[in-house]
Amino acid sequence: MSPAVNVKRSRTRTSWLMLNESNPLVPYLFLLPHAIFFLIFIVYPVGFGFYVSVHQWDLLSGQSPFVGLKYYVQIFDGSSPQNQFFWQTLLNTTFFTVLSVPLLVATALGLALLLYRPIFGQAIFRAIFFMPGILSVSVMGILWRWMFDNQSGLVNVIREQYFGQPIIQFLTTEGWAWVPIIIGTVWWTIGFNMTLYLAALGGISQSYYEAAQLDGAGPWGQFWHITLPLLAPTTLFIAVTTVLASFQLFGQTQVITNGGPTRSTQSVIQYITEEAFGNNQQSSAAAMAFVFGALMLVFTAFQFRLLAKDLRSSGKAG
Amino acid sequence: MSLTLSQTSRPSSRRRKPPAWVADAPRFLILLVLAVCFLAPIYWMVSTSFKPESDAIATPIQWFPAHPTLENYTEIINSPDGKLLRWTLNSVLVALAFTFVHLTLCVLTAFPLARMKFRGRELWFWAILSSLMVPGIVTLIPSYIMMLQFNWIDTYHALIWPGVAGVFGVFLLRQFFVGIPFELEEAARLDGANSLQVIRFVILPLSVPALVSLGVFAFMGSWNNYVWPLYVATAPEMQTLPVGVTSFSQRYVTEYGKLMAGTAIAAIPVLIAYLVAQRYLISGIALSGMKE
Repeated sequence: MSPAVNVKRSRTRTSWLMLNESNPLVPYLFLLPHAIFFLIFIVYPVGFGFYVSVHQWDLLSGQSPFVGLKYYVQIFDGSSPQNQFFWQTLLNTTFFTVLSVPLLVATALGLALLLYRPIFGQAIFRAIFFMPGILSVSVMGILWRWMFDNQSGLVNVIREQYFGQPIIQFLTTEGWAWVPIIIGTVWWTIGFNMTLYLAALGGISQSYYEAAQLDGAGPWGQFWHITLPLLAPTTLFIAVTTVLASFQLFGQTQVITNGGPTRSTQSVIQYITEEAFGNNQQSSAAAMAFVFGALMLVFTAFQFRLLAKDLRSSGKAG
Repeated sequence: MSLTLSQTSRPSSRRRKPPAWVADAPRFLILLVLAVCFLAPIYWMVSTSFKPESDAIATPIQWFPAHPTLENYTEIINSPDGKLLRWTLNSVLVALAFTFVHLTLCVLTAFPLARMKFRGRELWFWAILSSLMVPGIVTLIPSYIMMLQFNWIDTYHALIWPGVAGVFGVFLLRQFFVGIPFELEEAARLDGANSLQVIRFVILPLSVPALVSLGVFAFMGSWNNYVWPLYVATAPEMQTLPVGVTSFSQRYVTEYGKLMAGTAIAAIPVLIAYLVAQRYLISGIALSGMKE
């Protein structure tokens, strides 16, 4: 990758049979345990998944004839239910991503800006805003289903009791059903992004602000011309990871609305698992997973590039 | 805990003059309102769990249980298909085993990647990293079929092993190990230490913050894992807590008192653990996301 990492040959004679540290196999022995699990449970399943997707896998009979790209064609064939549901649920997931990502980035930045200068109880506030993130998705989902219950959920009761508004059947009305999912998700995950922003804000040298103040910049000017530009790399990183996490939407919709009403909040991951485990169509589901993964490459490759850039800037061993 | 937390912010606020304190007041009030909003759902969960069913859905709202009762908790613990204690035990066992194995594997593989010279080092590191580009759903179905073939469905094996080679931890530790001065390692080598001893006596003691953060991440990740255990551990006595709790939501669809009692039992140990470990968790996130 860089000139600094040229492998230097040791001058001393080394043998693969030596039973000590100068044996050139030692590094590989260290890598071996992780490599075994990595190859079996990460690399192999990718290949095996492709194998499954071009066969008609049948768990019951054990007969799995080769069918070529049938299940890939099916995804793009307008007459199949798989075509309809895959793209519809992908659209649902995209809709969720488009709505939730700006919220998750902007509100996290807002919270971090409120919190990064010293204030009474700073650490306690930070701990509170982060806290929902440690709950499991099922706990979070059940909690928000109860908050938005059609009849006696806290949101509806408050609307009725204090504002005289009619009840909204959040969980079973198309469109409204996204409200508990998105609010729940923001509540649940905002602490991560806030923490990243707090770390980045802490890294901005105070001297920039002092210089800006000398030049007569007000709080807004400082925010637009110093804080925001200096946070750009962090914002990029947060936006990319949040987009990826949003496309993985599964538990929230599963627990809060179960994908309803009429699949209007079903996420694509949820549909793929339904196809695999509900309809017992593992091959079709595996093909969908690959198509989804390929579409995600736009974002994952971008994340990978960010990571690689970070690696190059952070110095190398040796 | 709260004592040490407030101490850190006290000196700076004392140094400020009253006008500055007044200027901070609106910011403090906004934060306070937001904090109350963030805590409200959790308060509502606990409050509902202590109410009889009729009070849970009563109007006007009972902000505080008028007839506090433990019946939801006794019912949910003794529920015929609810094995809360077993699920908790499963979750604890799986999370502990997973965390231990994952940390060990990550340390062993991050060490040579960060500090040894050998052919293929860069190649292997990039191969590991590029697996981050594969979304979990791509491996979910083939991994599930593998579990069937291994006869691992409804066993602890299925819950522990498939995730242990996660690559984020390798990345995090490798970055941390690179920063440890080589002079320390050389000194140990001159004293006759081999690589394992270097790890044990030089690298690990200096990596405690990274290890604790990664350990907390791994534990939380395993504890809260939902998709995978949902499909590979379906027998009631093999379910983990997050999956088991959702089965309550099918049984007690509208009995929110009981549902909230079950949810509270699942949530409160995690919340307590969080209060103890939150510093490591939060600093770990900052560590992992630090960008130049």
